[in-house]
Amino acid sequence: MDDEDRRLLERTLARAAAQHTGGALDAALAELGWLDALSIDPRAAISLLFQLQGATNTTSSALGRVLAHALGVGSGPEIGIVLPPVGRWDPPGTVDADDLVVHGLGPASLSGVGSALIVTSIGKRTVGITVPTASLVLRAVNGMDQGLALLEVTARTTVAEHMSEALDCDWASALVLGRLALAHELVGASRTMLDLACEHARGRIQFGRPIGSFQAIRHRLAETLVGIDMADAMLDSAWHDHSPETAAMAKSVAGRQARTTARNCQQVLAGIGFTTEHPLHHYIRRTLVLDALLGSATSLTRALGAEVISTSQLPVLPPL
Amino acid sequence: MDLDAFRASLDDWLDSNQEPLAVAYEGSGTLDQQMAQVAKVKRLTYDAGWMRFGWPERVGGFAGSTLMRAYLGEALTARDLVEPGLYSMTEVLAPTMIDYAAPELAAAMVPALLRGDETWCQGFSEPGTGSNLASLSCRALRTGRGWQVTGQKVWTSLAQYAQRCVLLTRTGTAESAHRGITALFADMDSPGITVRPIRTMHGSDEFSEVFFDDVAVPFDRTLGQEGDGWAVAMDLLPYERSTSLWHRAAFLHRRLQELLGIAPSGSLDPARLGEVIQLLYAFRARSRRTQHRMAGGESLGPETSIDKILLATSEQAIFDLVADVLTAEVSVGDDPDSDRWRTEYLYSRAATIYGGSAEIQRNIIARRLLDLGDDR
Repeated sequence: MDDEDRRLLERTLARAAAQHTGGALDAALAELGWLDALSIDPRAAISLLFQLQGATNTTSSALGRVLAHALGVGSGPEIGIVLPPVGRWDPPGTVDADDLVVHGLGPASLSGVGSALIVTSIGKRTVGITVPTASLVLRAVNGMDQGLALLEVTARTTVAEHMSEALDCDWASALVLGRLALAHELVGASRTMLDLACEHARGRIQFGRPIGSFQAIRHRLAETLVGIDMADAMLDSAWHDHSPETAAMAKSVAGRQARTTARNCQQVLAGIGFTTEHPLHHYIRRTLVLDALLGSATSLTRALGAEVISTSQLPVLPPL
Repeated sequence: MDLDAFRASLDDWLDSNQEPLAVAYEGSGTLDQQMAQVAKVKRLTYDAGWMRFGWPERVGGFAGSTLMRAYLGEALTARDLVEPGLYSMTEVLAPTMIDYAAPELAAAMVPALLRGDETWCQGFSEPGTGSNLASLSCRALRTGRGWQVTGQKVWTSLAQYAQRCVLLTRTGTAESAHRGITALFADMDSPGITVRPIRTMHGSDEFSEVFFDDVAVPFDRTLGQEGDGWAVAMDLLPYERSTSLWHRAAFLHRRLQELLGIAPSGSLDPARLGEVIQLLYAFRARSRRTQHRMAGGESLGPETSIDKILLATSEQAIFDLVADVLTAEVSVGDDPDSDRWRTEYLYSRAATIYGGSAEIQRNIIARRLLDLGDDR
């Protein structure tokens, strides 16, 4: 995608993400050709959309589309993709005796499609199994962030009847793109939180001065920008080298800094930032849940450390 | 030559010249030994051509992308052939010299710095002028024969080795603040200059006090015009926070890898190690982006304060980990390797102080990048 196409895509996506969320945003994305963009230039399509979703606190089924793209299971809208449950990143399907056991999450749109793809571990194999949505138990999750309108997906069904169409799939690649998407969304949400806090720091007067003139506030906000730009740079490197390790690091850094951003910005916004009259709380809720999807900062960081200790080798550095 | 070709042929050359390039001392070595090693490596790489890529032809370079300079320093540091802080002084001082010196002066002087024939120092800080650089008072008087400089500098790295000094002086009134500053390029063997090295906590005489007593500096050694000193400083400081930090990232990566190789079993906490690695890789990712912006011709500015904060945070996190994992080596070890870990641990404490303290970097970010206005 050249610069001009990229700018055009960004403008149309910005309009769509500012006006719509959920099913309406899915429809807008279909209309403006985001799925085509995803296959032509995954980096542009993913980074632009998810950054905007984060910035505007909107949501869509795009994360499932990203995983489907990475898994190579077509771009038809009729298949829903089930994500791992909160805090986990192994495939949502497992096999127990003769049963396919499903434990995962899905977007609200899942209830409206006829079938769902369950990525499933069978021994050392990872396969994609397509099942009728009707065979899944879907529960609307209220939880921390109702704006995400997630569904909890569970099922226990005989595996044999679905195995004829099972396809081997590359879950590691799906995790790479899914984590990059979530990391962009976390960075987008963080930038909006920082904007809200800076705006408050410039306008709120105490002791006869804007509170943004006090070093305690300035340094807290400066530190916040350092964290956000660090996560953004890590994303650059992850797109550059496409390795699972760098993508996991990018998701980790984005998740950790987003939670630090939330804490710092809420402290600067103080009382008003603790109310539902100010938008900050939506972003705080969103970042907490996004951090938990496909591996939280805490769990991915520990996994990285354990891996490096076992090999005594640092991950490969992305080259200059 | 493109970067990939440069990387491949430089790596080959480094592999086949291990003997002449090798370090001749154990552990950290003394500062004299480190300086001699840097001078030797610069001369060998200059004479073989590597050091000239990425520098303009008018100062003896072969032109081409500045990424080649970044890679050369990375490769030398990754192979432990140079102390990165000493090596990178070139990246701090030469670019501003090229931007602001008269073309014939830059052409005459810069090649000697690149080849390691000369060492230069940076006379910015003064006893009364630390974070508030614009308050400096080292005075340059205009006389019939040239500038006459009187005053004192401090924290001047490598002054006792230096042949030249990029020197900020007060040429306006005492109240003229950043408007009345002029940058000069002084010869360190000029009569009236006295250098007194200061012993640091990590056992090196890395920086000095420098006294100027009616020191004559010719007018043709003015960098830019009279009163341009603040612009020169603002041009130079981002260079202090760009390529030299890329080289430092290579150093930190090598040392963290070496730590993994010798850490006693069970001494590393996975969560803490994971976070330290992520910090280092994110710092390097940021520095990589800065290198590419610089190579694309963008001018660097206040956003490099973010790079500096990330360097300081990663360096201290790594050496805090070193102190906890190699407790015996750092606290009571007296062999050369232990001494080196200890020295580097101690030096890492300065990362939030030198080159603009952590607080000053945050002030810059708040005012220039977050638009939070003045802090008073």
